[in-house]
Amino acid sequence: MSVHLKQNEPKPNPFPPASPPRDPVGIGLRHPYYEEVTNSPPNVGWLEVHPENYFGGGAHRHFLSKAREKYQLSLHAVGLSLGSTDPVSEEHLRQFKELIDIYQPFNVSDHASWSASGNAHLNDLLPLPYTKESLDTLCRNVERTQEYFGRTMLVENPSTYVAFAENEMSEHEFMNRLSEKTGCGILLDINNIFVQSHNHGLDPFEYIDGIDSSKVGEMHLAGHIEQEVGDGIILIDTHSRPVKKDVWDLYEHAVRRLGSVPTLIEWDQDFPPLSKLVEEANKARDIMNRILNKDITNAAE
Amino acid sequence: MRLSEVQKYFKDTMLDHPKVLDTPPEDFAELFNVGDIPLPERLKVYRNNIIGSLTDVMIASHPLLEKLVGHEFLELMARSFVLENPPTHGCLNMYGAGFDKFIESYELAKALPYLADMAKLEIAMNEAYHAPEDEPLKANELATASPEDLQLKLRQNVQLVSSRYPLDKIRNFCIEDDPDKTMSVDSGGVKMMIYRPELDSVIVKLEDGEYEMLLALNQGVGLNEAVETTLNAHKGFGFQEFLQRHIELETFLALKTNT
Ligand SMILES: [Fe+2]
Repeated sequence: MSVHLKQNEPKPNPFPPASPPRDPVGIGLRHPYYEEVTNSPPNVGWLEVHPENYFGGGAHRHFLSKAREKYQLSLHAVGLSLGSTDPVSEEHLRQFKELIDIYQPFNVSDHASWSASGNAHLNDLLPLPYTKESLDTLCRNVERTQEYFGRTMLVENPSTYVAFAENEMSEHEFMNRLSEKTGCGILLDINNIFVQSHNHGLDPFEYIDGIDSSKVGEMHLAGHIEQEVGDGIILIDTHSRPVKKDVWDLYEHAVRRLGSVPTLIEWDQDFPPLSKLVEEANKARDIMNRILNKDITNAAE
Repeated sequence: MRLSEVQKYFKDTMLDHPKVLDTPPEDFAELFNVGDIPLPERLKVYRNNIIGSLTDVMIASHPLLEKLVGHEFLELMARSFVLENPPTHGCLNMYGAGFDKFIESYELAKALPYLADMAKLEIAMNEAYHAPEDEPLKANELATASPEDLQLKLRQNVQLVSSRYPLDKIRNFCIEDDPDKTMSVDSGGVKMMIYRPELDSVIVKLEDGEYEMLLALNQGVGLNEAVETTLNAHKGFGFQEFLQRHIELETFLALKTNT
Protein backbone atom coordinates (compact mmCIF):
# COMPACT_ATOMS: atom_id res chain seq x y z
CA MET A 1 0.00 0.00 0.00
CA SER A 2 1.56 3.29 -1.00
CA VAL A 3 0.90 6.65 0.49
CA HIS A 4 -1.70 5.45 2.96
CA LEU A 5 0.86 4.36 5.47
CA LYS A 6 3.01 7.46 5.44
CA GLN A 7 3.12 9.41 8.65
CA ASN A 8 3.67 13.07 9.51
CA GLU A 9 0.13 14.07 8.83
CA PRO A 10 -0.91 16.97 11.03
CA LYS A 11 -4.15 16.15 12.80
CA PRO A 12 -6.62 18.98 12.28
CA ASN A 13 -8.83 19.90 15.21
CA PRO A 14 -12.00 17.83 15.17
CA PHE A 15 -15.35 19.37 14.44
CA PRO A 16 -17.90 19.61 17.26
CA PRO A 17 -19.74 16.38 18.11
CA ALA A 18 -22.57 15.48 15.78
CA SER A 19 -26.18 16.24 16.51
CA PRO A 20 -29.00 14.60 14.57
CA PRO A 21 -29.85 16.85 11.60
CA ARG A 22 -32.96 18.96 12.17
CA ASP A 23 -33.94 18.67 8.53
CA PRO A 24 -34.00 14.90 7.94
CA VAL A 25 -33.27 15.01 4.19
CA GLY A 26 -29.71 14.90 2.86
CA ILE A 27 -27.84 14.56 -0.43
CA GLY A 28 -24.55 12.93 -1.46
CA LEU A 29 -21.58 15.28 -1.75
CA ARG A 30 -19.63 14.25 -4.84
CA HIS A 31 -16.71 15.77 -6.71
CA PRO A 32 -18.75 17.72 -9.34
CA TYR A 33 -20.64 19.51 -6.54
CA TYR A 34 -17.67 20.54 -4.37
CA GLU A 35 -17.49 24.18 -5.49
CA GLU A 36 -21.23 24.80 -5.54
CA VAL A 37 -22.02 23.13 -2.23
CA THR A 38 -19.24 24.94 -0.41
CA ASN A 39 -19.84 28.33 -2.07
CA SER A 40 -23.64 28.46 -2.05
CA PRO A 41 -24.86 25.76 0.35
CA PRO A 42 -28.16 24.26 -0.83
CA ASN A 43 -31.17 23.96 1.44
CA VAL A 44 -30.78 20.36 2.63
CA GLY A 45 -30.35 18.96 6.11
CA TRP A 46 -27.11 17.03 5.81
CA LEU A 47 -24.51 15.54 3.48
CA GLU A 48 -23.30 12.02 2.85
CA VAL A 49 -19.84 11.03 1.58
CA HIS A 50 -17.93 7.82 1.00
CA PRO A 51 -15.06 7.92 3.51
CA GLU A 52 -12.81 5.96 1.11
CA ASN A 53 -12.55 9.03 -1.15
CA TYR A 54 -10.87 10.91 1.72
CA PHE A 55 -8.45 8.25 2.92
CA GLY A 56 -4.85 9.32 3.30
CA GLY A 57 -5.57 13.05 3.20
CA GLY A 58 -5.30 14.89 -0.09
CA ALA A 59 -7.03 17.80 -1.74
CA HIS A 60 -10.56 16.36 -1.37
CA ARG A 61 -10.41 16.93 2.37
CA HIS A 62 -10.29 20.67 1.87
CA PHE A 63 -13.84 20.55 0.48
CA LEU A 64 -15.05 18.06 3.05
CA SER A 65 -13.90 20.35 5.83
CA LYS A 66 -15.63 23.35 4.27
CA ALA A 67 -18.81 21.31 3.84
CA ARG A 68 -18.69 20.04 7.43
CA GLU A 69 -18.62 23.61 8.71
CA LYS A 70 -22.15 24.02 7.34
CA TYR A 71 -23.66 20.53 7.52
CA GLN A 72 -23.94 17.39 9.60
CA LEU A 73 -22.29 14.45 7.90
CA SER A 74 -23.04 10.77 7.33
CA LEU A 75 -19.97 8.65 6.50
CA HIS A 76 -21.20 5.87 4.24
CA ALA A 77 -18.48 3.33 3.46
CA VAL A 78 -18.35 1.00 0.49
CA GLY A 79 -15.05 -0.76 1.18
CA LEU A 80 -15.16 -2.55 4.55
CA SER A 81 -16.43 -5.73 2.90
CA LEU A 82 -18.29 -6.69 6.09
CA GLY A 83 -19.64 -9.92 4.62
CA SER A 84 -16.25 -11.38 3.64
CA THR A 85 -15.02 -14.46 5.45
CA ASP A 86 -11.68 -12.61 5.58
CA PRO A 87 -11.53 -10.25 8.58
CA VAL A 88 -12.04 -6.52 8.03
CA SER A 89 -8.84 -4.76 6.98
CA GLU A 90 -7.16 -3.05 9.95
CA GLU A 91 -5.77 -0.37 7.65
CA HIS A 92 -9.27 0.38 6.35
CA LEU A 93 -10.54 0.64 9.92
CA ARG A 94 -7.68 2.94 10.89
CA GLN A 95 -8.27 5.31 7.97
CA PHE A 96 -12.02 5.33 8.56
CA LYS A 97 -11.63 6.00 12.29
CA GLU A 98 -9.34 8.91 11.56
CA LEU A 99 -12.13 10.52 9.53
CA ILE A 100 -14.71 9.79 12.23
CA ASP A 101 -12.48 11.46 14.81
CA ILE A 102 -12.00 14.56 12.69
CA TYR A 103 -15.40 14.97 11.05
CA GLN A 104 -17.71 13.71 13.82
CA PRO A 105 -20.43 12.20 11.62
CA PHE A 106 -23.92 11.60 12.99
CA ASN A 107 -24.06 8.25 11.19
CA VAL A 108 -21.42 5.70 10.14
CA SER A 109 -22.38 2.87 7.80
CA ASP A 110 -21.50 0.17 5.26
CA HIS A 111 -23.35 -2.72 3.60
CA ALA A 112 -24.56 -6.27 4.24
CA SER A 113 -22.47 -7.55 1.35
CA TRP A 114 -18.91 -8.51 0.51
CA SER A 115 -16.29 -7.21 -1.97
CA ALA A 116 -13.02 -8.90 -1.08
CA SER A 117 -11.90 -12.47 -1.49
CA GLY A 118 -8.26 -13.40 -1.14
CA ASN A 119 -6.26 -10.38 -2.25
CA ALA A 120 -8.78 -9.09 -4.79
CA HIS A 121 -11.13 -6.30 -3.81
CA LEU A 122 -13.84 -6.11 -6.46
CA ASN A 123 -15.30 -2.69 -5.67
CA ASP A 124 -18.90 -3.91 -5.78
CA LEU A 125 -21.53 -4.91 -3.24
CA LEU A 126 -21.62 -8.65 -3.81
CA PRO A 127 -24.44 -10.90 -2.58
CA LEU A 128 -24.48 -13.11 0.50
CA PRO A 129 -26.49 -16.27 0.96
CA TYR A 130 -28.90 -15.60 3.82
CA THR A 131 -27.67 -18.37 6.05
CA LYS A 132 -26.53 -18.79 9.62
CA GLU A 133 -22.92 -18.95 8.40
CA SER A 134 -23.21 -15.62 6.56
CA LEU A 135 -24.92 -14.05 9.55
CA ASP A 136 -22.12 -15.16 11.89
CA THR A 137 -19.50 -13.86 9.46
CA LEU A 138 -21.21 -10.50 9.08
CA CYS A 139 -21.81 -10.22 12.84
CA ARG A 140 -18.13 -10.89 13.54
CA ASN A 141 -17.01 -8.13 11.18
CA VAL A 142 -19.64 -5.64 12.33
CA GLU A 143 -18.71 -6.29 15.97
CA ARG A 144 -15.03 -5.80 15.19
CA THR A 145 -15.80 -2.53 13.38
CA GLN A 146 -18.02 -1.19 16.16
CA GLU A 147 -15.44 -2.11 18.75
CA TYR A 148 -12.70 -0.33 16.76
CA PHE A 149 -14.84 2.78 16.29
CA GLY A 150 -16.18 2.77 19.84
CA ARG A 151 -19.70 3.38 18.52
CA THR A 152 -22.52 1.57 16.76
CA MET A 153 -22.85 1.64 13.00
CA LEU A 154 -25.63 1.20 10.47
CA VAL A 155 -25.63 -1.64 7.95
CA GLU A 156 -27.44 -1.27 4.63
CA ASN A 157 -29.46 -3.81 2.65
CA PRO A 158 -27.88 -4.13 -0.83
CA SER A 159 -29.42 -4.41 -4.28
CA THR A 160 -29.10 -8.01 -5.40
CA TYR A 161 -29.32 -9.72 -8.78
CA VAL A 162 -28.98 -13.35 -7.67
CA ALA A 163 -30.62 -15.25 -4.83
CA PHE A 164 -28.89 -18.25 -3.28
CA ALA A 165 -30.53 -21.66 -3.32
CA GLU A 166 -29.39 -22.34 0.23
CA ASN A 167 -31.09 -19.23 1.72
CA GLU A 168 -32.41 -20.08 5.17
CA MET A 169 -34.25 -16.82 5.82
CA SER A 170 -35.57 -13.74 4.04
CA GLU A 171 -33.34 -10.71 3.66
CA HIS A 172 -35.32 -8.59 6.11
CA GLU A 173 -35.13 -11.36 8.68
CA PHE A 174 -31.37 -11.52 8.07
CA MET A 175 -31.10 -7.75 8.61
CA ASN A 176 -33.21 -7.91 11.79
CA ARG A 177 -31.07 -10.69 13.24
CA LEU A 178 -27.87 -8.86 12.39
CA SER A 179 -29.14 -5.80 14.20
CA GLU A 180 -30.34 -7.83 17.17
CA LYS A 181 -27.04 -9.68 17.56
CA THR A 182 -24.61 -6.79 17.10
CA GLY A 183 -26.64 -3.79 18.23
CA CYS A 184 -26.02 -2.14 14.86
CA GLY A 185 -28.74 -0.05 13.25
CA ILE A 186 -30.32 -0.72 9.87
CA LEU A 187 -29.80 1.58 6.93
CA LEU A 188 -32.89 0.87 4.89
CA ASP A 189 -32.38 1.52 1.19
CA ILE A 190 -35.88 1.77 -0.25
CA ASN A 191 -34.69 1.59 -3.84
CA ASN A 192 -32.60 -1.50 -3.08
CA ILE A 193 -35.66 -3.17 -1.56
CA PHE A 194 -37.64 -2.38 -4.67
CA VAL A 195 -34.88 -3.59 -7.02
CA GLN A 196 -34.18 -6.87 -5.24
CA SER A 197 -37.89 -7.61 -4.68
CA HIS A 198 -38.55 -7.23 -8.40
CA ASN A 199 -35.50 -9.29 -9.37
CA HIS A 200 -36.48 -12.15 -7.07
CA GLY A 201 -40.27 -11.93 -7.39
CA LEU A 202 -40.86 -10.76 -3.80
CA ASP A 203 -43.20 -8.20 -2.24
CA PRO A 204 -41.33 -4.99 -1.25
CA PHE A 205 -44.14 -3.86 1.05
CA GLU A 206 -43.91 -7.08 3.01
CA TYR A 207 -40.17 -6.41 3.39
CA ILE A 208 -40.82 -2.99 4.91
CA ASP A 209 -43.51 -4.40 7.18
CA GLY A 210 -41.13 -7.12 8.34
CA ILE A 211 -38.21 -4.90 9.28
CA ASP A 212 -37.67 -4.07 12.94
CA SER A 213 -38.83 -0.46 12.90
CA SER A 214 -36.96 0.51 16.07
CA LYS A 215 -33.61 -0.21 14.40
CA VAL A 216 -33.80 1.93 11.25
CA GLY A 217 -31.37 4.86 11.53
CA GLU A 218 -31.29 6.11 7.94
CA MET A 219 -33.07 5.55 4.63
CA HIS A 220 -31.78 5.78 1.07
CA LEU A 221 -33.56 6.75 -2.13
CA ALA A 222 -32.02 6.43 -5.58
CA GLY A 223 -32.79 5.83 -9.23
CA HIS A 224 -32.46 2.52 -11.02
CA ILE A 225 -32.73 1.37 -14.63
CA GLU A 226 -34.78 -1.37 -16.26
CA GLN A 227 -33.05 -3.77 -18.61
CA GLU A 228 -34.92 -6.19 -20.86
CA VAL A 229 -33.61 -9.74 -20.68
CA GLY A 230 -35.42 -12.38 -22.72
CA ASP A 231 -39.07 -12.09 -21.75
CA GLY A 232 -38.39 -10.40 -18.47
CA ILE A 233 -36.94 -7.21 -17.02
CA ILE A 234 -34.08 -6.99 -14.58
CA LEU A 235 -33.75 -3.86 -12.46
CA ILE A 236 -30.26 -2.46 -11.97
CA ASP A 237 -29.40 -0.07 -9.15
CA THR A 238 -27.38 2.63 -10.91
CA HIS A 239 -27.82 5.80 -8.82
CA SER A 240 -27.93 7.60 -12.15
CA ARG A 241 -31.59 8.61 -12.44
CA PRO A 242 -34.39 10.33 -10.52
CA VAL A 243 -36.22 8.16 -7.99
CA LYS A 244 -38.97 6.14 -9.74
CA LYS A 245 -42.66 6.59 -8.93
CA ASP A 246 -42.94 3.05 -7.51
CA VAL A 247 -40.03 3.73 -5.19
CA TRP A 248 -41.62 6.97 -3.96
CA ASP A 249 -44.77 4.96 -3.19
CA LEU A 250 -42.73 2.46 -1.25
CA TYR A 251 -41.02 5.32 0.58
CA GLU A 252 -44.43 6.70 1.62
CA HIS A 253 -45.23 3.31 3.06
CA ALA A 254 -41.91 3.26 4.91
CA VAL A 255 -42.45 6.76 6.34
CA ARG A 256 -45.91 5.76 7.48
CA ARG A 257 -44.38 2.85 9.37
CA LEU A 258 -41.05 4.31 10.51
CA GLY A 259 -41.78 8.02 10.99
CA SER A 260 -39.17 10.70 10.46
CA VAL A 261 -35.88 8.98 9.62
CA PRO A 262 -32.87 10.79 8.03
CA THR A 263 -33.26 10.14 4.29
CA LEU A 264 -30.59 10.42 1.62
CA ILE A 265 -30.94 11.09 -2.10
CA GLU A 266 -28.14 9.05 -3.72
CA TRP A 267 -26.68 9.97 -7.09
CA ASP A 268 -23.33 8.51 -8.17
CA GLN A 269 -23.07 8.69 -11.96
CA ASP A 270 -24.44 10.79 -14.85
CA PHE A 271 -24.54 13.69 -12.43
CA PRO A 272 -27.34 16.23 -13.03
CA PRO A 273 -27.16 19.86 -11.88
CA LEU A 274 -27.15 20.12 -8.09
CA SER A 275 -30.62 21.67 -8.25
CA LYS A 276 -32.00 18.31 -9.42
CA LEU A 277 -30.75 16.59 -6.26
CA VAL A 278 -32.24 19.37 -4.17
CA GLU A 279 -35.55 18.92 -6.01
CA GLU A 280 -35.54 15.20 -5.17
CA ALA A 281 -34.68 16.03 -1.57
CA ASN A 282 -37.63 18.45 -1.44
CA LYS A 283 -39.92 15.69 -2.68
CA ALA A 284 -38.79 13.39 0.13
CA ARG A 285 -39.29 16.14 2.69
CA ASP A 286 -42.78 16.92 1.34
CA ILE A 287 -43.72 13.26 1.65
CA MET A 288 -42.50 13.13 5.22
CA ASN A 289 -44.35 16.32 6.14
CA ARG A 290 -47.56 15.16 4.51
CA ILE A 291 -47.55 11.61 5.84
CA LEU A 292 -46.53 12.51 9.36
CA ASN A 293 -49.04 15.34 9.70
CA LYS A 294 -51.73 13.00 8.51
CA ASP A 295 -50.64 10.39 10.99
CA ILE A 296 -50.61 12.96 13.77
CA THR A 297 -54.13 14.02 12.85
CA ASN A 298 -55.24 10.41 12.83
CA ALA A 299 -53.67 9.82 16.20
CA ALA A 300 -55.45 12.87 17.68
CA GLU A 301 -58.89 11.68 16.58
CA MET B 1 -20.09 -25.15 -0.07
CA ARG B 2 -18.54 -23.04 2.68
CA LEU B 3 -19.05 -19.26 2.43
CA SER B 4 -15.33 -18.68 1.84
CA GLU B 5 -15.46 -21.09 -1.11
CA VAL B 6 -18.60 -19.45 -2.49
CA GLN B 7 -16.88 -16.08 -2.36
CA LYS B 8 -13.71 -17.34 -4.00
CA TYR B 9 -15.69 -19.11 -6.73
CA PHE B 10 -17.79 -15.98 -7.34
CA LYS B 11 -14.72 -13.74 -7.51
CA ASP B 12 -12.86 -16.10 -9.87
CA THR B 13 -15.90 -16.32 -12.13
CA MET B 14 -16.21 -12.54 -12.27
CA LEU B 15 -12.58 -12.14 -13.32
CA ASP B 16 -12.69 -15.05 -15.76
CA HIS B 17 -13.33 -14.84 -19.49
CA PRO B 18 -16.77 -13.24 -20.08
CA LYS B 19 -17.89 -16.33 -22.02
CA VAL B 20 -17.88 -18.34 -18.78
CA LEU B 21 -20.93 -16.34 -17.68
CA ASP B 22 -22.91 -17.54 -20.70
CA THR B 23 -22.66 -21.15 -19.59
CA PRO B 24 -21.57 -21.19 -15.97
CA PRO B 25 -20.24 -24.51 -14.62
CA GLU B 26 -23.00 -26.66 -13.19
CA ASP B 27 -21.77 -26.60 -9.59
CA PHE B 28 -21.68 -22.79 -9.77
CA ALA B 29 -25.14 -22.48 -11.34
CA GLU B 30 -26.55 -24.74 -8.64
CA LEU B 31 -25.72 -22.14 -6.02
CA PHE B 32 -28.56 -19.93 -7.23
CA ASN B 33 -32.33 -19.82 -7.62
CA VAL B 34 -33.07 -18.03 -10.85
CA GLY B 35 -36.83 -17.61 -11.51
CA ASP B 36 -37.71 -16.07 -14.87
CA ILE B 37 -34.52 -14.06 -15.39
CA PRO B 38 -31.76 -16.37 -16.69
CA LEU B 39 -28.65 -16.75 -14.54
CA PRO B 40 -26.17 -15.41 -17.14
CA GLU B 41 -28.11 -12.13 -17.32
CA ARG B 42 -28.04 -11.87 -13.54
CA LEU B 43 -24.33 -12.57 -13.29
CA LYS B 44 -23.55 -10.11 -16.06
CA VAL B 45 -24.97 -7.27 -13.96
CA TYR B 46 -22.30 -7.98 -11.35
CA ARG B 47 -19.55 -8.39 -13.90
CA ASN B 48 -20.48 -5.16 -15.68
CA ASN B 49 -20.60 -3.31 -12.36
CA ILE B 50 -17.22 -4.61 -11.27
CA ILE B 51 -15.27 -4.29 -14.50
CA GLY B 52 -17.17 -1.19 -15.63
CA SER B 53 -16.68 0.76 -12.40
CA LEU B 54 -12.98 -0.08 -12.18
CA THR B 55 -12.45 0.74 -15.84
CA ASP B 56 -14.21 4.07 -15.24
CA VAL B 57 -11.87 4.82 -12.35
CA MET B 58 -8.91 4.22 -14.67
CA ILE B 59 -10.37 6.37 -17.46
CA ALA B 60 -11.16 9.21 -15.06
CA SER B 61 -7.56 9.36 -13.84
CA HIS B 62 -6.10 9.38 -17.37
CA PRO B 63 -7.63 12.34 -19.23
CA LEU B 64 -4.41 12.90 -21.22
CA LEU B 65 -4.27 9.31 -22.45
CA GLU B 66 -7.92 9.65 -23.42
CA LYS B 67 -7.02 12.67 -25.59
CA LEU B 68 -4.08 10.83 -27.13
CA VAL B 69 -5.68 7.50 -27.99
CA GLY B 70 -9.41 8.18 -27.74
CA HIS B 71 -11.99 6.85 -25.32
CA GLU B 72 -12.45 3.44 -26.90
CA PHE B 73 -8.80 2.47 -27.03
CA LEU B 74 -8.17 3.70 -23.47
CA GLU B 75 -11.19 1.71 -22.34
CA LEU B 76 -9.83 -1.40 -24.01
CA MET B 77 -6.43 -1.01 -22.34
CA ALA B 78 -7.93 -0.11 -18.96
CA ARG B 79 -10.30 -3.09 -19.07
CA SER B 80 -7.41 -5.51 -19.74
CA PHE B 81 -5.43 -3.87 -16.95
CA VAL B 82 -8.35 -4.22 -14.52
CA LEU B 83 -8.82 -7.91 -15.28
CA GLU B 84 -5.14 -8.62 -14.69
CA ASN B 85 -4.74 -6.25 -11.75
CA PRO B 86 -7.91 -6.05 -9.66
CA PRO B 87 -7.59 -3.72 -6.65
CA THR B 88 -6.12 -5.23 -3.52
CA HIS B 89 -7.97 -3.06 -1.04
CA GLY B 90 -11.14 -1.04 -0.63
CA CYS B 91 -9.79 2.43 -1.34
CA LEU B 92 -9.37 3.29 -5.00
CA ASN B 93 -7.71 6.71 -4.75
CA MET B 94 -4.40 5.25 -5.86
CA TYR B 95 -5.77 2.45 -8.00
CA GLY B 96 -3.92 2.12 -11.30
CA ALA B 97 -0.31 2.19 -10.12
CA GLY B 98 1.55 0.00 -12.60
CA PHE B 99 -0.59 1.05 -15.57
CA ASP B 100 2.53 2.55 -17.19
CA LYS B 101 4.36 -0.80 -16.95
CA PHE B 102 1.28 -2.54 -18.29
CA ILE B 103 1.14 -0.21 -21.31
CA GLU B 104 4.85 -0.75 -21.98
CA SER B 105 4.17 -4.40 -22.70
CA TYR B 106 0.73 -3.91 -24.25
CA GLU B 107 1.00 -5.22 -27.79
CA LEU B 108 -1.56 -2.82 -29.35
CA ALA B 109 0.23 0.24 -27.94
CA LYS B 110 3.69 -0.66 -29.26
CA ALA B 111 3.45 2.00 -32.00
CA LEU B 112 3.10 4.74 -29.37
CA PRO B 113 6.22 4.39 -27.23
CA TYR B 114 5.58 7.64 -25.28
CA LEU B 115 2.21 6.39 -24.01
CA ALA B 116 3.61 4.53 -21.00
CA ASP B 117 5.46 7.65 -19.84
CA MET B 118 2.33 9.75 -20.24
CA ALA B 119 0.57 7.23 -17.99
CA LYS B 120 3.42 7.61 -15.51
CA LEU B 121 2.86 11.37 -15.55
CA GLU B 122 -0.87 10.98 -14.87
CA ILE B 123 -0.24 8.48 -12.07
CA ALA B 124 2.16 10.98 -10.49
CA MET B 125 -0.44 13.76 -10.79
CA ASN B 126 -3.01 11.53 -9.12
CA GLU B 127 -0.63 10.59 -6.31
CA ALA B 128 0.24 14.23 -5.72
CA TYR B 129 -3.47 15.07 -5.55
CA HIS B 130 -4.23 12.39 -2.96
CA ALA B 131 -1.08 12.73 -0.84
CA PRO B 132 -1.54 13.68 2.81
CA GLU B 133 -1.18 17.25 3.99
CA ASP B 134 2.19 18.09 5.51
CA GLU B 135 4.16 21.17 6.50
CA PRO B 136 6.66 22.72 4.10
CA LEU B 137 10.13 23.85 5.11
CA LYS B 138 10.14 27.65 5.19
CA ALA B 139 13.12 29.98 4.87
CA ASN B 140 12.99 31.08 8.52
CA GLU B 141 13.12 27.51 9.79
CA LEU B 142 16.03 26.78 7.48
CA ALA B 143 17.89 29.86 8.74
CA THR B 144 17.75 28.65 12.34
CA ALA B 145 18.73 25.04 11.55
CA SER B 146 22.28 23.95 12.33
CA PRO B 147 24.03 23.00 9.07
CA GLU B 148 25.47 19.72 10.47
CA ASP B 149 22.12 18.09 11.09
CA LEU B 150 20.32 19.63 8.16
CA GLN B 151 18.66 16.81 6.22
CA LEU B 152 16.28 17.73 3.43
CA LYS B 153 13.33 15.47 2.78
CA LEU B 154 10.72 15.88 0.07
CA ARG B 155 7.07 16.45 0.98
CA GLN B 156 4.74 13.51 0.49
CA ASN B 157 3.00 15.14 -2.47
CA VAL B 158 6.24 15.52 -4.46
CA GLN B 159 6.65 13.12 -7.38
CA LEU B 160 9.59 12.97 -9.80
CA VAL B 161 9.19 11.90 -13.41
CA SER B 162 11.72 11.73 -16.23
CA SER B 163 11.20 10.63 -19.81
CA ARG B 164 12.97 10.51 -23.16
CA TYR B 165 9.85 12.12 -24.57
CA PRO B 166 8.72 15.74 -24.12
CA LEU B 167 5.83 14.87 -21.79
CA ASP B 168 5.18 18.51 -20.92
CA LYS B 169 4.79 19.45 -24.59
CA ILE B 170 2.64 16.41 -25.26
CA ARG B 171 0.47 17.42 -22.33
CA ASN B 172 0.06 20.97 -23.65
CA PHE B 173 -0.75 19.51 -27.02
CA CYS B 174 -3.53 17.45 -25.42
CA ILE B 175 -4.89 20.42 -23.52
CA GLU B 176 -4.89 22.69 -26.59
CA ASP B 177 -6.82 19.95 -28.35
CA ASP B 178 -6.48 21.51 -31.82
CA PRO B 179 -7.36 18.89 -34.46
CA ASP B 180 -5.35 20.76 -37.13
CA LYS B 181 -2.11 20.61 -35.16
CA THR B 182 0.52 17.90 -35.12
CA MET B 183 3.66 17.64 -33.01
CA SER B 184 6.90 15.74 -33.00
CA VAL B 185 7.49 13.51 -29.99
CA ASP B 186 11.22 13.31 -30.74
CA SER B 187 12.22 16.80 -29.68
CA GLY B 188 14.07 15.52 -26.61
CA GLY B 189 13.16 14.31 -23.13
CA VAL B 190 12.09 16.10 -19.99
CA LYS B 191 12.60 15.89 -16.24
CA MET B 192 9.98 17.20 -13.93
CA MET B 193 8.52 17.45 -10.49
CA ILE B 194 4.79 17.03 -9.94
CA TYR B 195 3.45 18.34 -6.67
CA ARG B 196 0.44 19.94 -5.00
CA PRO B 197 1.19 23.45 -3.74
CA GLU B 198 -2.51 24.08 -3.05
CA LEU B 199 -5.52 22.14 -4.29
CA ASP B 200 -4.32 20.97 -7.69
CA SER B 201 -1.34 19.02 -8.93
CA VAL B 202 1.19 21.21 -10.71
CA ILE B 203 4.11 20.38 -13.01
CA VAL B 204 7.52 22.03 -12.62
CA LYS B 205 10.21 21.43 -15.24
CA LEU B 206 13.61 20.60 -13.76
CA GLU B 207 17.23 20.99 -14.88
CA ASP B 208 19.14 17.70 -15.03
CA GLY B 209 21.21 18.46 -11.93
CA GLU B 210 18.21 19.64 -10.01
CA TYR B 211 16.40 16.39 -10.85
CA GLU B 212 19.39 14.25 -9.78
CA MET B 213 19.59 16.14 -6.52
CA LEU B 214 15.90 15.73 -5.71
CA LEU B 215 16.02 12.08 -6.68
CA ALA B 216 18.99 11.48 -4.34
CA LEU B 217 17.24 13.28 -1.47
CA ASN B 218 14.08 11.28 -2.13
CA GLN B 219 16.08 8.08 -1.87
CA GLY B 220 17.33 9.17 1.54
CA VAL B 221 20.89 10.00 0.49
CA GLY B 222 22.59 12.38 2.97
CA LEU B 223 22.72 16.04 1.99
CA ASN B 224 26.50 16.31 1.54
CA GLU B 225 26.72 13.12 -0.44
CA ALA B 226 23.79 14.13 -2.64
CA VAL B 227 25.41 17.49 -3.45
CA GLU B 228 28.70 15.77 -4.22
CA THR B 229 27.22 13.18 -6.54
CA THR B 230 25.13 15.78 -8.30
CA LEU B 231 28.14 18.09 -8.79
CA ASN B 232 30.21 15.22 -10.19
CA ALA B 233 27.63 14.50 -12.85
CA HIS B 234 26.45 18.05 -13.52
CA LYS B 235 29.19 20.66 -13.34
CA GLY B 236 26.79 23.58 -13.61
CA PHE B 237 24.73 22.59 -10.56
CA GLY B 238 24.49 25.36 -7.98
CA PHE B 239 23.30 24.23 -4.57
CA GLN B 240 22.40 27.67 -3.19
CA GLU B 241 20.28 28.42 -6.22
CA PHE B 242 18.66 24.98 -5.95
CA LEU B 243 17.91 25.48 -2.27
CA GLN B 244 16.38 28.90 -2.75
CA ARG B 245 14.18 27.78 -5.62
CA HIS B 246 12.84 24.76 -3.76
CA ILE B 247 12.25 26.66 -0.54
CA GLU B 248 10.13 29.01 -2.62
CA LEU B 249 8.32 26.14 -4.30
CA GLU B 250 7.82 24.49 -0.88
CA THR B 251 9.27 21.18 -2.05
CA PHE B 252 10.79 20.14 1.29
CA LEU B 253 9.22 18.86 4.45
CA ALA B 254 9.44 21.08 7.53
CA LEU B 255 12.40 20.01 9.67
CA LYS B 256 10.36 19.89 12.88
CA THR B 257 8.11 17.16 11.42
CA ASN B 258 10.79 15.15 9.68
CA THR B 259 12.79 13.58 12.48
FE1 LIG C 1 -27.86 2.98 -0.69
